[in-house]
Amino acid sequence: MNIVIRHGLPLPVAGALPDGEFVPTRVPKMGLAGADYSGIRPEILVEAGQAVASGTPLFRDRKRPEIVVTSPSSGRIEKIEIGPQRRLSLLTIIPEGEDAVRFDLAAAGTSAGLRSLMQQAGLWPALRTRPFDRIPAPDAEPAAVFVTAIDTRPLAPDPAVVMGGMEDSFARGVGALRLLTQGQVYVCQGDGVDLVEPQDRVSVVRFTGFHPAGLPGTHIARLHPATSSAPVWHINYQDVAALGQLLARGTVDFSRRISLAGPGTQQPLLLRVPIGADLHALSRPQLTPGPKRILSGAILDGREAQFLSRYHLQASVVARIEPRARNWLIAALGRASSPAAFVPTAAVDRALGPDMPAVPLLRALSIGDADRAAQLGCLQLGEDDLALATYATGGETDFGARLRAVLDMLEAA
Amino acid sequence: MRGVWHRDTVSWIIVSAMLPVVVAASLDLGLATMQRFGVALAVISFWQGVFLFTRAQPLSPIALITAFAVAVLASGTTEMWQIVLAASFGTVMGEQIFGGWGRNVVNAGVVTLAFLYFAFPEVLHTGTGPLVAVAAGFGALLLLVMGVLSWRIAVAATMGLVLATFALGQDPAAPFLEGSLVFGLVFLIGDPVASASTRMGRWAYGALAGALVAIFGWADAGIDAPQAVVFATLLASLFAPLLDAAAVAVATRKWRGGHA
Repeated sequence: MNIVIRHGLPLPVAGALPDGEFVPTRVPKMGLAGADYSGIRPEILVEAGQAVASGTPLFRDRKRPEIVVTSPSSGRIEKIEIGPQRRLSLLTIIPEGEDAVRFDLAAAGTSAGLRSLMQQAGLWPALRTRPFDRIPAPDAEPAAVFVTAIDTRPLAPDPAVVMGGMEDSFARGVGALRLLTQGQVYVCQGDGVDLVEPQDRVSVVRFTGFHPAGLPGTHIARLHPATSSAPVWHINYQDVAALGQLLARGTVDFSRRISLAGPGTQQPLLLRVPIGADLHALSRPQLTPGPKRILSGAILDGREAQFLSRYHLQASVVARIEPRARNWLIAALGRASSPAAFVPTAAVDRALGPDMPAVPLLRALSIGDADRAAQLGCLQLGEDDLALATYATGGETDFGARLRAVLDMLEAA
Repeated sequence: MRGVWHRDTVSWIIVSAMLPVVVAASLDLGLATMQRFGVALAVISFWQGVFLFTRAQPLSPIALITAFAVAVLASGTTEMWQIVLAASFGTVMGEQIFGGWGRNVVNAGVVTLAFLYFAFPEVLHTGTGPLVAVAAGFGALLLLVMGVLSWRIAVAATMGLVLATFALGQDPAAPFLEGSLVFGLVFLIGDPVASASTRMGRWAYGALAGALVAIFGWADAGIDAPQAVVFATLLASLFAPLLDAAAVAVATRKWRGGHA
């Protein structure tokens, strides 16, 4: 099936990624930020100084102990920072050695066995639900599973290139995902050869168009709209390949093939680094002169972070623009009554991938009207779906944060 | 990363689209236009300043557009004190009390002009010639390219105007030679804030506004008088939220029941 997304905007981002291999790169440190695992209240299972192998459980959810986050690499725990309300703020690991936990694959052929394997191996957090964009409950069953094997964010690595040599793992992973649902598994990919053979309950769907043609929100709204009673799950292509590899070898490969690019780098790089890689260390030799912001994620929807987030497949460097010092009176008047209202231009209409009334939805989000936003279709969306809307309204309001606030309200109701 | 469509950037785009009309209108209507523009701008800026200090609403270049719309469409022998009154009413009641441009329901220029026409009906206002119509056409092109003027509204309003003119037994080409009418079509009916904001809503809003211009023009004020387009915009803007609500109700049927 081919679907052309007519919405979306071309983004003025200069530069292109190089051809070639993803260079395996050692990092001096890895960090897991608690903020990445929204919806989890962690119970820490390790202590500072302890040696861990790749796959050793680091923390688990207090309420649902089956949901475990495991170490992305062999090493030693450097420090564990606990934030307000006993939440995990940051856990850092110094990599050393090559130890990896082997998992028992005997029961992986059944639905319950696969769930338990993914949960033990720390691959369960790779799945996220729509609505609400949370890690799914251990025993939940989705109406469909979406494999996102297309990335239209600026300067993102091309999944077709990344998958070169990993086709078997990917196909095995897709096949296994069928055990999690009674419904369809949709493999959403860009133009090009099929990444997997279509099989029973597996559909390959090609999406073309500008960003956000590659976002799961766009795919889900188009193919299988999510509802609270029939949620769907989505997972990115690199985690599917990791699942396939786990099923073949019994160990998890937590490395990511990422791009490190953006206007603040001398040249864009393709790297193979573990989840949580220290982006400051990776980008330091590459920076152009001047103050910089280092983002985990794309220029459009990334957030400033030292460590590569669980869900990001790229890192970006942009110039840090410090606000100019101005006369105090002019500065005070300029801050008046912000955020300024947005003007409904054609750019706003094109900013959302799903076919939903963009202007009424953005207005409902900006005043925090949860019921209205739900009626207009916000349950189909995640924070990344609204990055383009923030861009198309001049960056005055962070609509991703507004959506998260509205989703939290709807989830609690 | 942020795009160029910030509220203030958009208003500067509209101002630049208006520049050809400024030249054409000065040639057509003479120096009195600039005098009215100056007075209206001073009054609107004063009220923007008042709301800046009392309600923390930032100044907006939209004042230039409102003032110029008043200067062109109130072309009769309007006294300056009348403009002071009308512009005060228009900018305060039409825009500032809602929170400034971007949050208003009707265009401030339309409110100002409607006030002038109603309060001082003895003043005769004449339209402008084809030169202004051509200049407004160029402005419309820029607005369409930048996505500020919705092409759906532009097409629907033109079609509504032509069809209603035809239905009334008049020459469908005649309205497009009237400068004030084309100006109003582009800058008042096409105002992105006060018009409808959904796809179907825009088609309905444009068609309604175009048809109302024809009806008011041919049946009442005269197609060459600026009143037709101002009253048509006022009425259509008031219907815009209703049209949007209907369009949203149709478009969101598929998400209904999504939230348990």
